[in-house]
Amino acid sequence: MLRAGCQLFNQSAVAAVKTGSNNFALEFVRRRRKPRWLPVAKSKLFRVPERKKQSEEERTELMRLHNHYKTQLRSVRQFLREEVVRQQETSTADHIVLTPEQEEAEFQRCVEVNAAWNAKIAKEREVRLAKEREEKVAYVQERLEAGKLREEERRERADERVRYEIEQSKSFITRENLDEAIETALANPVDHNFAIDLAGNMIKGRNTQPQSN
Amino acid sequence: MSLSPASGIGRFYKHSAKIIRFARHGCTNRPFFHIVVMERRKNQHQPVIEQVGSYDPLPNVTNERLVALNTERIRYWLGKGAHMSDPVAELLGIAGLLPVHPHTYMTAWRNRKAAAEAAAAEAVKPAETA
Repeated sequence: MLRAGCQLFNQSAVAAVKTGSNNFALEFVRRRRKPRWLPVAKSKLFRVPERKKQSEEERTELMRLHNHYKTQLRSVRQFLREEVVRQQETSTADHIVLTPEQEEAEFQRCVEVNAAWNAKIAKEREVRLAKEREEKVAYVQERLEAGKLREEERRERADERVRYEIEQSKSFITRENLDEAIETALANPVDHNFAIDLAGNMIKGRNTQPQSN
Repeated sequence: MSLSPASGIGRFYKHSAKIIRFARHGCTNRPFFHIVVMERRKNQHQPVIEQVGSYDPLPNVTNERLVALNTERIRYWLGKGAHMSDPVAELLGIAGLLPVHPHTYMTAWRNRKAAAEAAAAEAVKPAETA
């Protein structure tokens, strides 16, 4: 019967662990205790736990000390209780009651202080915003000038390029001087082949031997 | 365990029993305690009403065990009738806010006795060996 009870208990515990519905499923040390409803184990049935020995002397001394302590603590507590009451009575934290006129005056005073503060901050803000505006204008101006300069430079470079191209176009081969160019090319064949010997000399032409030989 | 702020978000009834006690905030093999005020019936990891100190029971490099106490609030809560756990009562006794707890005296005389016995044993041993 005990065994069956254990089995049931185990199964339910395992099921709870498997579902993992709560945080306590993540425990790594499993303790299995005797369920409350099971009787005392047979081996422990007649075991009488030994009382701790306390000497008579120590016991009386502790008794005396505890009596003193309790009396002293009682009076300290009474003192603190009175202190709290006294503080509550004397503190003005939350029981000052004002008349409506006083409240109105207080409110007006607050409004005035607030208005003065707002005015002061507004003045400061005006100065700051004006300064910021000036800075912004100067910055934009500077950027615009820089942009203009950049544009000029770019135009200059483009003009240069155009001039160069026009200069180059004088030697272009066009439909008109095509025959002439072909004839010139045929008349002056160019050979780009060359060889290099071990000394690093370049030998031009198709012949591996220098022409002079 | 979720951490609750030390300023205290614990809800409490006006006339429920409050207690000043430790709440363990360390990790495995490293105890560290907050000294907190909370409802007596709640467990230590519930939100607290107020934290009034901390206690580090392990000695640091200079062999000190550090305690911080907000004595003003402790006085307030004791005046409001809050209970105290025994360890807190001992600590407050040693701190000088309350009378010294009898348990402190008991530990002291037991330690003295053990030391005296050890010294006596040391004194007897060389005599035997010689």
